[in-house]
Amino acid sequence: MSLPESQLERLETTVPVDVGDPEAVLGKSPTQLAMGRFRRDKLSMAAFVVVAVYSVGAVLAPVMVKLNVIDPLKLNQNLLDPSLGSIPKAKWGGISLAHPLGIVPGTGTDLLSRLWYGVTFSLTIALAASVLAIVIGTVLGIIGGFTGGWTDSVIGRFVDLTLSFPSTLMLLALSATGVALAAKVLPGSGSDPLPNGFYEVLVLGLFGWPPICRLIRGQVLSIREREFIDAAKLLGASRRRLYFKEILPNLWAPVLVSFTLTMPAYISAEAALSYLGVGIHPPTPTLGNILVDSINYSVADFTYFFFPALLIAVIVVSFNLLGDGLRDALDPKADR
Amino acid sequence: MASYRKKMLAVAAAASMSVALAACGGGSDNGSKSPGGSSDSAKGGTLYYYIFAALEHTDPQRTYVGRDITNWSRTVYRSLVTFPISDDAKVSTTPVPDLATDTGQSSNGAKTWKFTVKDGVKWEDGKPITCEDFKYGASRVFATDIITGGPNYIITYLDIPEDPKTHLPIYTGPYQSSPEGKAAFDKAITCDGNTITYNFKKPWADFPLAVASLHMMDPYRADKDQGDKSNYQIFSNGPYKLEGTWDKQKGGTLVRNPNYDPSTDSTDIRKALPDKITFDIGKTAEQITDQMIADSGQDKFAVTERRVPAAYYSQITGDIAKRAVTVTSPYTDYVVPNFKRMTNLQVRQALAASTDDTGWVTAGGGEKAYEESHDIVNPAVKGYQSDLFPAGAGDPEKSKQLLQQAGVQMPYPITFTYPSTATADKQAAALKAGWEKGGFKVTLNGVANQDAYYTDIQKPDQKADVIWAGWGADWPSAITVTAPLFDSRPNLTKNSNGQDYGAYDSDEFNALVDQAQNATDLDQQTQFLQQADQVLAKDVAYIPVDNAIFYFLHGSGVKNYMNTAASNGFPDLGPVGVK
Repeated sequence: MSLPESQLERLETTVPVDVGDPEAVLGKSPTQLAMGRFRRDKLSMAAFVVVAVYSVGAVLAPVMVKLNVIDPLKLNQNLLDPSLGSIPKAKWGGISLAHPLGIVPGTGTDLLSRLWYGVTFSLTIALAASVLAIVIGTVLGIIGGFTGGWTDSVIGRFVDLTLSFPSTLMLLALSATGVALAAKVLPGSGSDPLPNGFYEVLVLGLFGWPPICRLIRGQVLSIREREFIDAAKLLGASRRRLYFKEILPNLWAPVLVSFTLTMPAYISAEAALSYLGVGIHPPTPTLGNILVDSINYSVADFTYFFFPALLIAVIVVSFNLLGDGLRDALDPKADR
Repeated sequence: MASYRKKMLAVAAAASMSVALAACGGGSDNGSKSPGGSSDSAKGGTLYYYIFAALEHTDPQRTYVGRDITNWSRTVYRSLVTFPISDDAKVSTTPVPDLATDTGQSSNGAKTWKFTVKDGVKWEDGKPITCEDFKYGASRVFATDIITGGPNYIITYLDIPEDPKTHLPIYTGPYQSSPEGKAAFDKAITCDGNTITYNFKKPWADFPLAVASLHMMDPYRADKDQGDKSNYQIFSNGPYKLEGTWDKQKGGTLVRNPNYDPSTDSTDIRKALPDKITFDIGKTAEQITDQMIADSGQDKFAVTERRVPAAYYSQITGDIAKRAVTVTSPYTDYVVPNFKRMTNLQVRQALAASTDDTGWVTAGGGEKAYEESHDIVNPAVKGYQSDLFPAGAGDPEKSKQLLQQAGVQMPYPITFTYPSTATADKQAAALKAGWEKGGFKVTLNGVANQDAYYTDIQKPDQKADVIWAGWGADWPSAITVTAPLFDSRPNLTKNSNGQDYGAYDSDEFNALVDQAQNATDLDQQTQFLQQADQVLAKDVAYIPVDNAIFYFLHGSGVKNYMNTAASNGFPDLGPVGVK
């Protein structure tokens, strides 16, 4: 249902419109207008394509591992030089047909396979943590903003309290107990990705919701004064209906934007946490734990350092551009 | 308990290649080169010693880290006997007289040892070192609530009655003890003029080795002792003394001690060439290596205890390679099967057969970081046997056969617990691959919180099937390796497996340890220990995975640079000069 750019421009600038093409005038929902605006933004579209490619890759990776097309765990230590700190014997990090991005020093595992599978774990963690943060933030934001008064104050102070926690420190300090607890509930232990990943998601999510909560509360404060809310109230709508049927649908724009901006933050957070020794440990790959190991080799084996760094940089930048683009498209009046 | 501290440090070192190695005892200088070892060096200048982590103690009785033991021996703390400077590991692990006139005389079946303190030896304030100072130093070891962290062998050896309730000696140190305890201690160590006599309740054939390897028998001045407050005090009797105070986070500087008389000492032990020695704490291995490679300013006159990280090996070429030294360290890494879970001998044999030692070493950084290991006893230590374990890449076929014979489910599921670091994770992956080829299904359990690693693996109810650990001999005898690690009697209690992490319990082994401990002759003792080690190998009580290699850089202005067995493979401050 897209509109040629020239027509769209005409729509916005010239009133009344050319009646000769009624379809062009009718049926333009705010969503469609926003989509149109978004599509015209080439940078955002490029970012969207990159994010889509990563996402498809992330979904495909486990299948590829199952089908043995990629193997992130297979050792190829015969390709390493034990007299030089076990870096690849071949130049350029051991790039070859079998290993298009080279191999990992020490183990000789295929870097492409590890990065590809690593994207799956990194994106899953970031996605799960973002969803958690957004669900908590949105629900509390709606309740606080809509109810006002005493409830709002409590939630507001709770937001302040959470923000004042040194979250990184908490995450480090509690990691041993947290992971152990998670391991008790979940199958597997230690280097298994599940408990570590679960803990990481939990902490990122539990400390990530306050900004979202504040944003949503602000939106709700203006929405609750609108007529349709009064109408619903007069019709005797339940509180729950008001929250989730009347208000929530009007919030999807800020929620979507928060999501696209939380994702890159959590992807880099995963890398930072790997550096601090929290999070999923090798041999399970994540973009973070590959990057952390590769930093040491930035001189000895530059290719090994280059690819994970590039992959993280590209996805983080893309998500940020996508978020910015979405915000511009959904709320063109917003002052940037 | 004695060696707990040391192991804890050893683990971190071996696993991360970056934390201070601990423990004491002899090392080996196999393959050690000493560039300029023969060239002469003059007195003067300042030597810098780069250290990564803060020292936990500088108190002699509390020092238990191999690096510190030798640094203090060469500079500030002299002992009755000590190890000389030598490229030959045999020579540098044979005690020579230091503050004593000879290497000690034993009688009563090695239960009594006698030393005579030299005339003219002085403390840094000019007062003479007396027999009473030695006695006071030894007494401090008994204050186990205050003087913590150090080796405490003499608590179990010295002839003092035990409290039947606590099974500890009735003497509880110089700060607070019952009169009976004090009397018993006065009987156990006696002074007759300058002659000090130690009375033990069981034979201690290698007592001089222990004295030379550790600082627990060092003299200590009673009037300088403030208990725990003296932790970072250095009251010297050697060629250097501390300038100002020791800063825990930054280190300190040693300057010449005017009251040191070289005529009471030997240049075979300390040449004391630099005028100043600065210990600089807080740089990471990467920073130190970068500085050493650049070799400018004070870095020219620097040595370090940090191993070159594997990622840097390719940069050590040409002239830089001339300043690099590889030394076989006295530290060994091993894995133990948990005897509560892997009860079937054939399963344990299969585990040993499929252990990919080559893969472990390669993943750890290759031949400059580790060498394959055949025995938990380090090659530098008396009692080493090269034929106990085959090492190499493992034999998966043999492993599968053994598992089939055992009639267990295949793949056989096991969990491997180890302290997780970037390097250790790779090494664990290599072991896992080997074991899985041999018919096991391996779950890796990398423990991120390394401070608690040894506490974790000592728990009797732990779920691990295979456990990683590291060890360095306290002195160059197998009695400080296999006995403290596998003797079930002192180790296994209701709440802890002690250092016997796999809960290994063998009467045959324990009996051989008893025979070794009661041996009055060192060769006889070594024989018993070798038999005991064979029992361990037969039962697969452990599988050795590597001997750590030290790969050190030093500045171009450092002369007579050596890493000796006496210095546990670390830079030996005895011969070194900067002019």
